[in-house]
Amino acid sequence: MNRYEKLAAIAVALMLVAAAAIFVYAPTDYLQGPVQRIFYLHVSAAIAAYGCFSVVLVGGLIYLRNESLVADRFARAGAATGVVFTTVTLVMGMLWAKPIWGTYWTWDARLTSTLVLWMVYAGYLLVRRLADPGRQAARIGAVVGVFGFVDVPIVHFSVTWWRTVHPGPVIVNDALPPQMLATFLFTMACTLVLAAVVLYARYRIETLEDVGMQVAEPFKVIPAAEPEPAR
Amino acid sequence: MNPFRVAIAVARKDLRSEWRTREIVPALAQFVVLALLIGNFGFAIDSRNAAAIAPGILWLAVVFAGLVAFGRTFAAEREQASLEAMLLTPASPVAIFAGKALAATAVLMVCEAVLLPALTLFFGTPLNAGLVSAVLLATVGMAALGVLFAAIVARVRARELLLPLLTLPLWIPFIVAGGAAVQSAMGIGSGYDEAMGLLLDFDILFVVLTSLAARFVLDE
Repeated sequence: MNRYEKLAAIAVALMLVAAAAIFVYAPTDYLQGPVQRIFYLHVSAAIAAYGCFSVVLVGGLIYLRNESLVADRFARAGAATGVVFTTVTLVMGMLWAKPIWGTYWTWDARLTSTLVLWMVYAGYLLVRRLADPGRQAARIGAVVGVFGFVDVPIVHFSVTWWRTVHPGPVIVNDALPPQMLATFLFTMACTLVLAAVVLYARYRIETLEDVGMQVAEPFKVIPAAEPEPAR
Repeated sequence: MNPFRVAIAVARKDLRSEWRTREIVPALAQFVVLALLIGNFGFAIDSRNAAAIAPGILWLAVVFAGLVAFGRTFAAEREQASLEAMLLTPASPVAIFAGKALAATAVLMVCEAVLLPALTLFFGTPLNAGLVSAVLLATVGMAALGVLFAAIVARVRARELLLPLLTLPLWIPFIVAGGAAVQSAMGIGSGYDEAMGLLLDFDILFVVLTSLAARFVLDE
């Protein structure tokens, strides 16, 4: 087992323990029934995604300052990991919304801004794939990452100014019974570990890709020598 | 070099070349009228529902005309490699960017001067100062973002594909606030002043942010 396999095994084991906590230890919600158990992973994945996108933001800003390749690789890894966790958040949220709100989707502030978040960073990944690797691509990525991070709270704010049905933060105002809170905090910690492991592995992949590019770069086609003209 | 004079000079150059070729404006004017035509048949509009649907068609037309207009901003520069020449001069890249953005904003506003009367003509919606100022205010911020991302994708493959993907999510705040402002200017919904205030805030924020970022995008 190499380092990455060990880390992955630890993360998976932690997630299994979290699953046990969610399904066995945590009490069933009185009003919503078992479907409320989606909450633990739904919110944890959202927080993990925000963490990943903060890595994109910080990596981008560092890159713009000193062109650090490490910062750029972390930004790329953060975007890829963040998009995965945002997808998890959106899909689980829709599954939860159907029985409780009666619809998979509603144009609420938090849903809209999460969808925009997903689209911004999916666009980031696409632009990184299509731009020729190098300084230009890294700068483009940094700018997209910074603008995306600024845009999402604004989308959230501008839609809130209309109306919102999404429940507010229940954790901070003490609305969770202690067992639920403990399960949530544990699940969140495990999810953050999982996200960090995925990001770290992705960082390794980005590094290897960079190295591969540099190996491939100096290769040039040398034109065949012209035959000597007959005298 | 005075950056304001550089920006004005770049904008004048772009507008003069547009005036001589008459390339983008006629095409976009036709494009927005076609958008109204499609909206009309796509929605089965009659006199009762026109007021509810017209704001949406207006913003769809503005957004897609904007994408086309901003996508063309760097096309001529790319074809003649003239952007590199401009960047070699002592003029600051931010001033050059501001000039390009000014010209693109003016071009899009000319298209809106066709779109808004056409909307009133075909859909019977009111055309008033509130409506016009909401659209113009949104255009400023959308142009700043659109031209920045047009500059970004100018050197990337599949740029026509990427520009909408990168720009549209960032335009959503303008559509949210601009949509509300236009709806209330047309007499459906309220909150005109708040929406205009938001639009102004977004304009300031994104004009400042894009001018900070322009250095990294254009400088090479």
